[in-house]
Amino acid sequence: MSPALSVVLCIVLLVILMIVGGLLTWVERRLLGLWQDRYGPNRAGPFGVFQIFADILKLLTKEDWIPEFADKPVFVLAPAIMLVAVVAPFAVIVFAPGILITDLNIGLLFFLAMSSMTVYGVALAGWASNNKYALIGGIRAVAQMISYEVFMGLSLMGVVIIAGTFSLGEIVERQQSVWYFAYQPVGLIIFLIAGLAETRRLPFDLPEADSEIVAGFHTEYSGMKFAVFFLSEYVGMTLISALIVVLFFGGWMGPFLPPILWFVVKTAVLIAFFILVRAALPRYRYDQLMELGWKGLLPLTLLNLLATGAVVLAIGK
Amino acid sequence: MFPVFYVAGLVALVSTVMVVTRRNPIHALLYFILSLVAVAVIFLDAGAPFVAALEVIIYAGAIMVLFIFVVMLLNPGVALVIRAREWIGPAILSLLLTLGIVYSVVGSTIKTMGISATTPKDIAMALFGPYLLGVELASLLLLAGLVAAYHLGRRIEREAPARGASLQPGAPVGSGAPSSRKEGA
Amino acid sequence: MERVTAYLVPVWAIGIFFVFILIVVAIFLVVPPLLGERHRERATDLAYESGIVSTGTARLRVDVQFYLVGVIFLIFDIETAFVLAWAVAFKRLGWAGFIEIFIFIGMLALVLVYLSRSGALDWRRKSPAGRRAP
Repeated sequence: MSPALSVVLCIVLLVILMIVGGLLTWVERRLLGLWQDRYGPNRAGPFGVFQIFADILKLLTKEDWIPEFADKPVFVLAPAIMLVAVVAPFAVIVFAPGILITDLNIGLLFFLAMSSMTVYGVALAGWASNNKYALIGGIRAVAQMISYEVFMGLSLMGVVIIAGTFSLGEIVERQQSVWYFAYQPVGLIIFLIAGLAETRRLPFDLPEADSEIVAGFHTEYSGMKFAVFFLSEYVGMTLISALIVVLFFGGWMGPFLPPILWFVVKTAVLIAFFILVRAALPRYRYDQLMELGWKGLLPLTLLNLLATGAVVLAIGK
Repeated sequence: MFPVFYVAGLVALVSTVMVVTRRNPIHALLYFILSLVAVAVIFLDAGAPFVAALEVIIYAGAIMVLFIFVVMLLNPGVALVIRAREWIGPAILSLLLTLGIVYSVVGSTIKTMGISATTPKDIAMALFGPYLLGVELASLLLLAGLVAAYHLGRRIEREAPARGASLQPGAPVGSGAPSSRKEGA
Repeated sequence: MERVTAYLVPVWAIGIFFVFILIVVAIFLVVPPLLGERHRERATDLAYESGIVSTGTARLRVDVQFYLVGVIFLIFDIETAFVLAWAVAFKRLGWAGFIEIFIFIGMLALVLVYLSRSGALDWRRKSPAGRRAP
C-alpha cells in the first residue's frame, strides 16, 4: 500500500469514527425512546437529528473546569489515555479487502493490549479528581474491568484455535464457508458480556451508576473533557461491535452488496443490539457483577476453551 | 528508515529516570508505564511482536494496574522523602552494576542487535516443546502465588463488632454491599 | 529478509495512525478550554458532593477485597499469556500440547475452586446480626 493512501485512510477512519461517535449519541437516545415507548430528542431538525450539533455547541461553550483540588496533569491525561486506547485498535481491523490501516500478525493481541490500557483512563480520572464519588467510581471501574478482562482474552482463544492466527484479516478469510459464531456460540456470548463490562455500558455501568455515586469517575469532569469520556464510550461500543463482526460474523463477507457495506451493516446491527440491551436490562448490583465474572464466566470460558480444543483435535486433521 | 529504536530507547531511559525522581507515587508509576510501553516498541522493532504484545498486556496492563490500584486503595499521599543514608548504599551498588554493563558493551565483539523475526507460533512451539517443564512449573508457581496472595490479603474476620460499625470514619467503602463488620487490621 | 520487512511496515502504519490520534486528542483537550466561559464564585472550587459541603479528605482507604481482585487478576492474566501462545500454535502442537495445557489450566482451575470455596471471591458478607446484606 502506498504511503499516501495509508495516510489518507488514517485520516478518513478517524473522521468517520468521530462522526459515528457523535451520531451515536443521537441514535442511542432515539432508539431508547422507541424501545421504551417515549420520544427522545425530536425538536431540532428532522427527527431531532440537529440535536447533535446543539450538543457539540453546548459542550464547546461550557466552562472547561479543572478543579483546584485535583492533580491537574493527571486530570487532563486521563481522558486522553481513554480516547487513544479505544481508537487505536481500529488500526488492526480489516474493514474490507484493501480497506485497512494494517493487518498485524498479532492484531488480536494489539486489541487486547490496548483494551488493558483503557483501565488507566478511568483509574486516573477517579484518582486525580480528588473527589469521593470519583474515587469510589474509579476503584469500582478498575476492579470490574480487570475482572472481565481476564476472560475477554480467553473467550476469543476458541476462534484463534480454529483459525490458527491472531491476524484479523486472516481470521475473516477463514470464515469463507462458515461464520465462527456457529462454532463458538459460548465464546461469542462471553465476549459480548465482557465487552459490555469493558465499555461500562448498562447493565454493567456500576462505575458511573448515577443513582448511587453521581457520575462515578467523571463526576468532576466538565465541558470537552467530559465529552471525550462520552465519546470514548461510544467509540468503544463501536470497536466491540466491529470486533464481533470480524471474529464471529464473517467480517466483510456477504452476497450481492459490496464488502464494506456488509461490514457497516453488520456493525450497525450489533450496535443497535447493545442499545437494546441498555433499554431492556436494569443495572446489576456490584457483588452480583463480580461474582458472575469470577465464579460463572471465568470457569465457563476455561471449559469452553478446553472443549473447543478437544473437539477440534478429535474431528479435525 | 525511521530510527524507531533510538527514539524508543531514549523515551525508555528518560522515563525511567523520571520514575526514580518523582515524589508523587502516581506520577512515578505513569512514567514507569511509559517506560514499559517504550520497551514494547523496541521489541516490536526488533521483530518480536508477540513479546511486545505480552509486554504491554502483562507488564503495562496488569502489573502496573495493580500498582496504581494499590496506590488508589491506600492513598499514601506524597511519598516520604528518602534520606541520603538510605539510598546511598543501593546507589553505589547500582553504579558498580552500570560500570559492569558499560564495560561488557564496550568490550563486546557483537556490533549490532540481530534482527530476526520471531512469530508467535515459533514461541509457542518452543514453550510447549523443549521448555514444557518450565510452563508446568510456572503454573505451580502461579498456584502458590495465588494462595499466598489470598492469605496475605484476606479480610480477617473479627468477633462481631457493635452494629453500625461501618458508619465510623475509616470503615471500608465502595464494596457495593453494605457491611457492618469492621475490616481486620 | 522478506519476513522482516513484513513486520516493519505495520510498525510504520500504526505509528502514523497514532500520530493522527494524538493530534485529534490534543485538539479536543487544548482548544475547547479557550472557547468556554469562565467564572469564579464562592462555591466554584468545592468538590461536588451532591450539594453538601465536603468534609474530610477524599483520599479514602478502601476494602481490602479490591486488592485481592487485583492480585488474582494479575495471576490469571499471566495464565492468559500461556494460553495465547498455545492457541495460536494449536494445530502444530496437537494432542501433546492439549494435554500440556489441560494440566496447566487444570492447576489454575483447581486454585480457582479453592479461592471460591474459601470465600476470596465473595463480595457479600454476612452481617453479624445474622441478617444478610441486601
